[in-house]
Amino acid sequence: MAGLISLMILISLAGALITFLAKTREQARTVAIITSGISLAISLVIFSQFDSSISTIQFLESYSWIPSIGVTLKFGLDGIGMPLVLLSNIIIPLTVIFAWGETKQANRFYGLILLELTGVLGVFTSLDFFVFYIFWEIVLIPMYFLISIWGGPRKEYAAIKFFIYTHVASLVMLLAIFAMYFNALGITGTPSFDMFGLLKSYQVMDGDLIKGVISLKDAVFIGLLFGFIVKMPAVPFHTWLPDAHVEAPTAGSVILAALLLKMGGYGLFRVILPILPYSDSPSRMITLMAIIGVLSILYGTFLALAQRDLKKMVAYSSISHMGYVTLGAAALVPLSVSGAMYQQFSHGLITGILFMSCGVIQHSAGTRIIHDLGGIAKYMPKLTFVMLAGFLASLGLPGMSGFIAEFLVLVNSYFTLPTFVILALFGIVFTAGYHLWAMQRAVFGTYNEKLGHIHDGANYEIASMAILVLLVIYFGLNPNPVLNMMTVNAEQLLKSVVLRGVIT
Amino acid sequence: MGLYSYLLISIIIFTIGVYGIITQRSGIKILMCIELLLNSANLNLVAFSSYNGNSTGQVFALFSIAIAAAEAAIGFAILVALFRLRDTINLDNINILRW
Amino acid sequence: MFSDYAALIVLLPVIAFVLTLFLGKKLYSGGALLPIAAIAGSFIISLGIFFEIYPGGMVQQSIPWFGNGISQMNMGILIDPLAIVMLMMVSFVSLLIHIYAVGYMSHDPAKPRYFAETSLFTAAMLSVILSDNILQFFISWEVVGLCSFLLIGFWYHKPSAAAAAKKAFLVTRIGDVLFLAGIVMLYVNLVEIINNPANAFKIEPGNFLLQFKTMFEAIPLIDKTQLTYITLLFFGGAVGKSGQFPLHGWLPDAMEGPTTVSALIHAATMVTAGVYLVARTFPMFFATPATIMTGVPDSLLIVAIFGGFTALFAATMGLVMNDIKRVLAYSTVSQLGYMMLALGTAGAVVGAQAVGISLFHLVSHAFFKALLFLCAGSVIHAVGTNDIREMGGLFNKMKITATTMLIAALALAGIGIPFINIGTAGFFSKDMIIEKSFEFGEKTGGWGWIFYGFAILAALLTSIYIFRLWFMAFTGKPRSERHSHESPNVMTVPLMILALFALFFGFSQTGFYGYLEKNFELMGVEIAVHEEAAQLPVIIILLPVIVGVLGFLISYAIYYKRMIDMSKIISSENPLYKLLLNRYYEPKIGADLIGVKLTHDVVAQSGEFVDRKIIDGLVIDSIIGNTIFKIGEIIRKLQTGVVQNYASITILGVALLLVLLKLKLGGV
Repeated sequence: MAGLISLMILISLAGALITFLAKTREQARTVAIITSGISLAISLVIFSQFDSSISTIQFLESYSWIPSIGVTLKFGLDGIGMPLVLLSNIIIPLTVIFAWGETKQANRFYGLILLELTGVLGVFTSLDFFVFYIFWEIVLIPMYFLISIWGGPRKEYAAIKFFIYTHVASLVMLLAIFAMYFNALGITGTPSFDMFGLLKSYQVMDGDLIKGVISLKDAVFIGLLFGFIVKMPAVPFHTWLPDAHVEAPTAGSVILAALLLKMGGYGLFRVILPILPYSDSPSRMITLMAIIGVLSILYGTFLALAQRDLKKMVAYSSISHMGYVTLGAAALVPLSVSGAMYQQFSHGLITGILFMSCGVIQHSAGTRIIHDLGGIAKYMPKLTFVMLAGFLASLGLPGMSGFIAEFLVLVNSYFTLPTFVILALFGIVFTAGYHLWAMQRAVFGTYNEKLGHIHDGANYEIASMAILVLLVIYFGLNPNPVLNMMTVNAEQLLKSVVLRGVIT
Repeated sequence: MGLYSYLLISIIIFTIGVYGIITQRSGIKILMCIELLLNSANLNLVAFSSYNGNSTGQVFALFSIAIAAAEAAIGFAILVALFRLRDTINLDNINILRW
Repeated sequence: MFSDYAALIVLLPVIAFVLTLFLGKKLYSGGALLPIAAIAGSFIISLGIFFEIYPGGMVQQSIPWFGNGISQMNMGILIDPLAIVMLMMVSFVSLLIHIYAVGYMSHDPAKPRYFAETSLFTAAMLSVILSDNILQFFISWEVVGLCSFLLIGFWYHKPSAAAAAKKAFLVTRIGDVLFLAGIVMLYVNLVEIINNPANAFKIEPGNFLLQFKTMFEAIPLIDKTQLTYITLLFFGGAVGKSGQFPLHGWLPDAMEGPTTVSALIHAATMVTAGVYLVARTFPMFFATPATIMTGVPDSLLIVAIFGGFTALFAATMGLVMNDIKRVLAYSTVSQLGYMMLALGTAGAVVGAQAVGISLFHLVSHAFFKALLFLCAGSVIHAVGTNDIREMGGLFNKMKITATTMLIAALALAGIGIPFINIGTAGFFSKDMIIEKSFEFGEKTGGWGWIFYGFAILAALLTSIYIFRLWFMAFTGKPRSERHSHESPNVMTVPLMILALFALFFGFSQTGFYGYLEKNFELMGVEIAVHEEAAQLPVIIILLPVIVGVLGFLISYAIYYKRMIDMSKIISSENPLYKLLLNRYYEPKIGADLIGVKLTHDVVAQSGEFVDRKIIDGLVIDSIIGNTIFKIGEIIRKLQTGVVQNYASITILGVALLLVLLKLKLGGV
């Protein structure tokens, strides 16, 4: 009997195929909601059986696939993957509910959403680099089509930009994976793409990529890091994100920001941190990551402040928030790393609310340009309520999940990276600034009569946002259900760091 | 006759075919040259089969002939369609794949 | 028995918040009764706890929250004398203001939202007070700020209200970031102290890292410079929340909210949270080294400087404002400065007693300032304008409001009779602060006298502006054709109750000081108290009252008797008047210059330029993109579209491979 994880992935895949074949919109969305609901239920079962006090892989499944080159279908979950699997299964059903009114090629639309679910679940659970890479690429394709078919006026440009950026990054990552693979092959003699095996063999890698310039170890490390931070995305490889978000349909934006960006962060924890202490110049790599993190935080904040388009502002806020993930990971303190993991989880929930708000406004008022809006709270009280909650969560209001994450990252990173933390703290005021300024201009104030008659968001839209708001508050008051397992794994991850004496 | 004589003929036929493919401009001539290539290969198969006393090669040759027939049919069909469309089967003029 | 239900002090208003928010529309007066009942419950529990623990008890309850190992965070309750005094004051004032609001907000359609938000505010404020750790303190502190934001922007359709709400949140946020930075540094210091085996410092089971208790115990082990940084960062948070210079600008703007909100949040409770923070962490401030001035801990000196300067600075602006609420807002800023000044100067002179002195003024200020605001609300409710130039002659129409406001004004001006100790609440609380500033000057000499100067000058200005307000509003001829009338009972009864407190609260002075003095001893912190009963010169004891009366007389002369023609002074040509009326150009410098021009127009827009033109335009499009296109241009020439060319190349390739294979393998 197949394990729960593969069952979950298979069901979402099957659901996607059935949805593609559905004849009517009703059929398509019914199948989509049922499938994603089942997937959610399975992930809840897994979550309830998950032992958060141990750091080992649980629910391990392994099936031989291509033995001649050492590819196995190996799935499993630990404290790094589990919260993200849960997040994916929360976001996708809510996205389907939010997009309940989609009329354009509905069967393909919902099918692609489910395919995204398949992809991200695969990425977060597979423990074989080959399979990991396949899922990593599977995620790209539905998103490309979501943007290029249902997108806005410049959808082709945005879609191809998104695709090229992330694809180039994944190819670089693939090269690094191959380098590790052949390195391991040379040592053990048996081909294997097993993730932990390859990461372990990285420790004994030697040689130079270009003699005297860069060693093979550093090259592999940077290749992997590049693959992940482009996906995050981190400054300066971020420009695909605002364009993709501006053009993408709301559901696409939600999935992109809430799940796809998390793949990059997941890669940091799963792949980068275990090999970081064994790279040839760990301290330089840590500084590099910290600079990227803080740069993303500040740069994203100021860029968000400059935006005229509400959705683009939210997109830049994502860059800023994901900077905390890089910073927390670079600090290499157990609680900063688990704070960074928590930031991933929390940002996934919060950003969903933000993009959904933008979607409702776009749909109702016909524009997202902050300047052209104004006073819409008068006619959209329900939206204003959830949107304000989302914005407050996003600016790190205590009592909501984002605060716990940022607090943990800032406080614990101060042990090892005090200068960077002080710089990051500057961003907090401006983060509040652009959120509230946008709210003030777009939502509050006198009603802009040019907008004509606008109506509040549909009930299903508001409902899916309200659920996210409740989750954000719940996880802000009680982070333990996911934070504990993250902490256990973060501690385990950092054992080798202490062992290598990278951080005293 | 030994194996080498067959192979020699086969090479000659093959070379003629390649030469024709490269030099000729008419689609029909090129198709005929492709047939020559296939037939030289068939000749090889049959020759080796007879040489080794194993009939597998001959079976392959039969397959290959059938496929060649199908290929020729499709090829000519394409050419006919092409002629209707462009009034020519001179392949130098058929270069829409060009940059 | 009441102590077991301490958590309900916070939870009752939270429940009321949720219920009012969702069910308020269907209930009487927008669900006002729910929060009123809940806050009354909180008040009764607080009162019960007070009688249980008086005079020397505490309530401590704590549960783990998140984190692990030594970094375990917790949620908990700590009710010591300091907290219980605040709890009773906040729940009592909040209760009265909620009752008042039933009348004041009766015509507003959004009442459920109003009462839900004020209820949440009260819960958060009570949670600030009874937090037993700095993290929960910070979280509640931020929620309080959120409610302030929501309530200032209550009439969000007014652009000025939306802007004021944003400004309030952002300016206090600057302080909050400093506060957070202080927590970060404190946390790191505590963990390093615990991890250092030489210290033999550990957290007992049941205690947690960021608890005040742990913090105080660790004070001797924290590096002195670090301690100064930590306390100054905390004070940064207090500066933001309590509207001290230079982060004072949001508080007058916050008057865009309903008057009841101004009374509750921006006079009596939230803005005093900053003072409470300094009082709460007073042992840390007290333990900072004295490097600037002998015998005065650095951080306390800084607190005194900011507090003293703000007290005077804000009072000057209070003189010229024409909006009745803005006068009161500047008055609040000024009085908060007094409380800070008390912590700083008295802290240096008498140690832990300073907390009592400051808190006593805090509580009495809460009574009379809430009263002033509610009276102002009553006036605004009646005449429908905020501008005191359009009021006048209201005394006959609104006797209760006018009388209670006069009582509050007397209390604010600190009027009373020295030596026999009869007077208003402000007489006892403010004069003590002024006297301590004098003692501070005596103790330090030199420029230490400046604080006394601040205090006494501010007292004079306070008296002038508050009686100016009273005379302009209630005496003379009506200056506009408005039909005004006394407010309903639901509004006047809270006024009368508060007036009683403004009059008689001062008599609890001795007991109050005595009760709070022991506060930190209960927490196990020793603070050296300088026991020397200073004999003050008579003139010093008399002076605060003299300037109070003098201020009254000046206002009486100008605004009642009209003995001086003000029109020459109040003109746009007078640079001093212009400076004051423009609030020292603080909104221009803060919002326009720093906020919009520098941050948005310069930094953010140049970031946008870098993003679009440099990264996207130059690097991606021009350099990388163009290079790839150029290479493509060259290579695509190979694509002739002629099948034969492809075939030839294929054959050539195969031939080449064969040759290579031959060379590699050798033989035939």
